[in-house]
Amino acid sequence: MIKGRYDDENLKWIPVLIIAVYLFPFLLKSATFSYKYYLYIFNIAGVYIILTVGLDILSGFTGLMSLGHAAFLAIGAYTSAILVDQIGLPFELSLIITPIIVGICGFVIGFPALRIEGMYLGLTTMGFGFIVKRLIIAFREWTGGAGGLHVSKATFFGYTIRNDWDNYFMIYTFAILAIIIARRIVKSKLGRAFMAIRDSEQAAQASGINLAKYKMMSFFISGMFAGFAGVLFAHTNHFISTDHFDILLSIFFIVMVLVGGVGSIYGAVLGTLFIVLMENMFIPLFEDGMSQFVHLEAGEFQVFIFGLIMLLFIIFQPQGLYGMWLKMRIYWKIFPFNPKKRFT
Amino acid sequence: MKKMTVMISILLLFIACGKQAPTPGVTDTEILIGNIQDLSGPMKELGAVLPAGSNLYFQYINEQGGVHGRQIKMIVEDHQYNPQKAVVAAKKLIEKDQVFCLYHVIGTSTCEAIRPILAETKTPLIAPATQSGTMSDLSRTAGDLIFHTDTGYDKQTNILIDYILNNDSNAKIGLIYQDDDYGENVLKGAGEAESRHSISVQKEAFQRGATDFTGQVGNLIKGSATHVIIAGVVKEPIIVMKTASAMGFSPQFFGTSPTMDHRVALAAGPAGEGFIAANFADLWNSDASEAVHYRELCDKYEVPEAYMGMYHFYGYITAKVLVEGLERAGKNPTRNRLINGMETLKKWDSGAFPPITYNSNDHAGTESVILVQIKDGVQTVITDWID
Repeated sequence: MIKGRYDDENLKWIPVLIIAVYLFPFLLKSATFSYKYYLYIFNIAGVYIILTVGLDILSGFTGLMSLGHAAFLAIGAYTSAILVDQIGLPFELSLIITPIIVGICGFVIGFPALRIEGMYLGLTTMGFGFIVKRLIIAFREWTGGAGGLHVSKATFFGYTIRNDWDNYFMIYTFAILAIIIARRIVKSKLGRAFMAIRDSEQAAQASGINLAKYKMMSFFISGMFAGFAGVLFAHTNHFISTDHFDILLSIFFIVMVLVGGVGSIYGAVLGTLFIVLMENMFIPLFEDGMSQFVHLEAGEFQVFIFGLIMLLFIIFQPQGLYGMWLKMRIYWKIFPFNPKKRFT
Repeated sequence: MKKMTVMISILLLFIACGKQAPTPGVTDTEILIGNIQDLSGPMKELGAVLPAGSNLYFQYINEQGGVHGRQIKMIVEDHQYNPQKAVVAAKKLIEKDQVFCLYHVIGTSTCEAIRPILAETKTPLIAPATQSGTMSDLSRTAGDLIFHTDTGYDKQTNILIDYILNNDSNAKIGLIYQDDDYGENVLKGAGEAESRHSISVQKEAFQRGATDFTGQVGNLIKGSATHVIIAGVVKEPIIVMKTASAMGFSPQFFGTSPTMDHRVALAAGPAGEGFIAANFADLWNSDASEAVHYRELCDKYEVPEAYMGMYHFYGYITAKVLVEGLERAGKNPTRNRLINGMETLKKWDSGAFPPITYNSNDHAGTESVILVQIKDGVQTVITDWID
């Protein structure tokens, strides 16, 4: 019998997890008075999850490095702000059009990817980030220039998404959708072609995979995810400026994917949650205590911790958080018959 | 029956009073204020100094018994000059720490980013630490909650161009501006002045953090500018003037308020001689009443000498504006009463700012500047308040 796409996996826990995601705000509200602050942090993570899942398709599955994803996010955010607030398109339509536009931008950036790879591609995409920033400033009649742009609230089929509470449900509905779509892509013929390119371009070509077509497709899909995240970013933050989308953000996206586990959609989700929560909730908790021993300002302390996390993960856990989870699962599955060396 | 009605009324009154939510950040003994600075980003040099200046004044007020018997306590968060982080910090201060109001948040894009939260929670922002004219624009989101103290960059640029043309009607004016939100506001002022005087200003942009201005200075030489306005912070005027001097170009240099730091005079040396900068407050080392008081307090509380200067004094004097607002908010302050209290300031003399006036149609605070020139390496005030 031919094996189904998801036959290897235990999918029973997925509905439970989805229900938990929707129940979470209610739990948070009953647990703490300052739930709105925590919800906002989870909302940031939700938007970034959509982007990093797309980045993982490009970097993790196709093996193409991108240091320009903050720029894709910026294009998505500005395009949607202009489409909705200045041209007057409905938000629902912008949710469809904007990702396609950003996908096309990704497609265009994909051209150099046909000739260069590795660090050189990383630098090219980084350069793209700088160009986008200059363009945003240059087209100031539309974008508000360096002064930034105020963006309206999202209106979804007549219902205005008013606050962080509403934002949470909108963002996580789309995040879940993005994860499902991404998983379907990587499990399809397309995904297998991406992985073949990542593992060996020559072998992939020999197997009849059109390198140019699939590499550009990977950029297109990744751009679409980033564009989608951009729409949500603009209409839930209500203000966007070039300061939002600096090079450091692109690097953080790579860190999120790396820490989560390159080449696994769930890894990107875990990595993003881990980094966003670390940055905004856990590091500030340790900051005061640590600053008695090491004199570092808040931001410097964060960079220090992130650098440390990256190093530790790359040296000791290259498969990332998701790899750790898989190892743990196998460990308990075959317990107590674990071979000694396998899990060290 | 009458007795019954009275009793029910009293009961209802008690229930109503009991249900009234306490004002966030205000207890019988303390008022909690939130401040968001750049402690580790591109402007971290100011991040430590500004709140230290504010705390100097709060320490003095707290020793005098506080505001209506309440001590002022300020929590400082870091936004690294990133608008997203500014939003996180504002949410933390307002939702988690429950501060009474925000005060002296630094940066234009960061202040713009937190407007929606201010509007949603009706939290006032007193004295944002930016001279962008957009801060006093009442038509923007939360415009009614923001009280600006400083003369905007657009207004400053207008005043500088007026001053130049008053002294030399044939002046060819050049402008070197930072290509960001700050520069955007300077450009707005330059545009207004251009159409008012029917002139054309030669504009040269530079990126935040730039250290090489050879190209911009070269272009200004080509354009034969006689007067050049530098809209940078501290290091930019120093480098621009030294570069110009090395290239044999000697126009009259001017600068917007962030260039008014005394370090410009120290570091630019002979190249900086004659440099004129606009400022929206009296000099910290001047004879203005609050400047004298400031120096006395610096002595009393043993403030490190490295801290003392324009930015430390800026933190100090804006703290005085906030305290005045808190005083006027009354013994039982609410956010609404703070706004009403601030709007009662009529030509109020802070002792260092020009007279401040607020009302429901005007939250700009001040609209004038003094010009300060470097003479023999020393900053000297050369004009009265001009607007």
